[in-house]
Amino acid sequence: MTKRVQDAKPARSKDTDAWFKENVAEQKKRYAAIVQEQDGLAAQREKWVEAFLQIIQTKGFNVNGDTRRVIKPSEIAKKPKGKHQVVF
Amino acid sequence: MARPHIEPYVELDHPFKKFGVSGFKGSNYKVLSLDTDTGACTLKVRFDGGFKRKPGLSYSDMEIFVLNGKIKVGKQTWSEGHYAFIPAGMAVGAIEVSQGAEALLMFNDSEPSFVESDKNHQLALTDAFSSVNSYEDKPWGGGSIVSPSVATGCLIKLLHFDPLTEALSFLYCMTPRFAQDNISYHDSAEESYHIWGTSWMMQFGELPTGGYFWRPPYINHGSFRCKYGTIAFGRTDSVLFNYFHFNPWTNPDENKLRAASTLYRKRPQLYQWAASDGHNHPHGPPDFENADYHSDPQVRMLHGEPVGGSVGKKRRK
Repeated sequence: MTKRVQDAKPARSKDTDAWFKENVAEQKKRYAAIVQEQDGLAAQREKWVEAFLQIIQTKGFNVNGDTRRVIKPSEIAKKPKGKHQVVF
Repeated sequence: MARPHIEPYVELDHPFKKFGVSGFKGSNYKVLSLDTDTGACTLKVRFDGGFKRKPGLSYSDMEIFVLNGKIKVGKQTWSEGHYAFIPAGMAVGAIEVSQGAEALLMFNDSEPSFVESDKNHQLALTDAFSSVNSYEDKPWGGGSIVSPSVATGCLIKLLHFDPLTEALSFLYCMTPRFAQDNISYHDSAEESYHIWGTSWMMQFGELPTGGYFWRPPYINHGSFRCKYGTIAFGRTDSVLFNYFHFNPWTNPDENKLRAASTLYRKRPQLYQWAASDGHNHPHGPPDFENADYHSDPQVRMLHGEPVGGSVGKKRRK
């Protein structure tokens, strides 16, 4: 493999390592807050999903660009049991 | 674990912090997303009036998008809407900010680094440098650069294209009353920062001005709405393909299987070859056209391999 500039990078300095670790820890908290906030939207999200399923069965689903196809009731997936997870 | 799924994150609700890393002292920052292995990150940085820095280089490919204010870089002045891709090791001129400015700074390979120098690093691939004012010097184009495409009303300005991975950096806008009734996911990670405006997605709700996401591959998003218009800066880390569907409850594993099944149907010989015992190449098969693509930092990043000297925990198995 050809050596790249990135391969010549020296080890992190103490200051940079401290910066990195501090921000990794903060990001963990931020992620947890996002998950909590999104879990709080669950009831509202169910209504949005219901509206979406109605729209695709009447006005249609965007297959490509503005081309739409009306979805038959038999094509709609059954809602699985458990939490509707949106953040992974 | 690379960058986690950060969506949505509205940075305007959070304070700046003093930037204490060499080369950035005197500025302030917020982390929008951070790779927990390599330190690659997207930051919003505020340069207060009077900020100065000598010429220098970074050990990471870097992208910058100026949100407001003016930044003097060498002999150029980068103002609102300016975008630049600065390859690792390329020396940029002295920086001066007289009145204050804010920008998105993206370090693609490792944490922010700076070495004072007025000469390029001997390994710098300086041909990749690009610098353009995206507001003034680029026209809007239709969003149908890929197929299947977004609905009419989503426009883009392509700012950077990586020829090896087809990673994109772009400005995009959604016109008022934009609507797209499908659910999408991609093989690539996707990132966006709302410069102005609010849009809505069925999973996450509204993303307002200052809203940001870093979304790993195969995660459902959409349907889409935008009531009054939005302008945003976006990126992908590899090719952007829109897998559209209408099942609201699928997870990333199911989406990935569906993506692989399209390969099975549409490129059967390739699928069979890649899936056969003894014929798979976990570190990438040879490519007679791009013989050295295995060294490319973006390619290595995509495969979780070490990039950036001593950083990166994973090693080739």
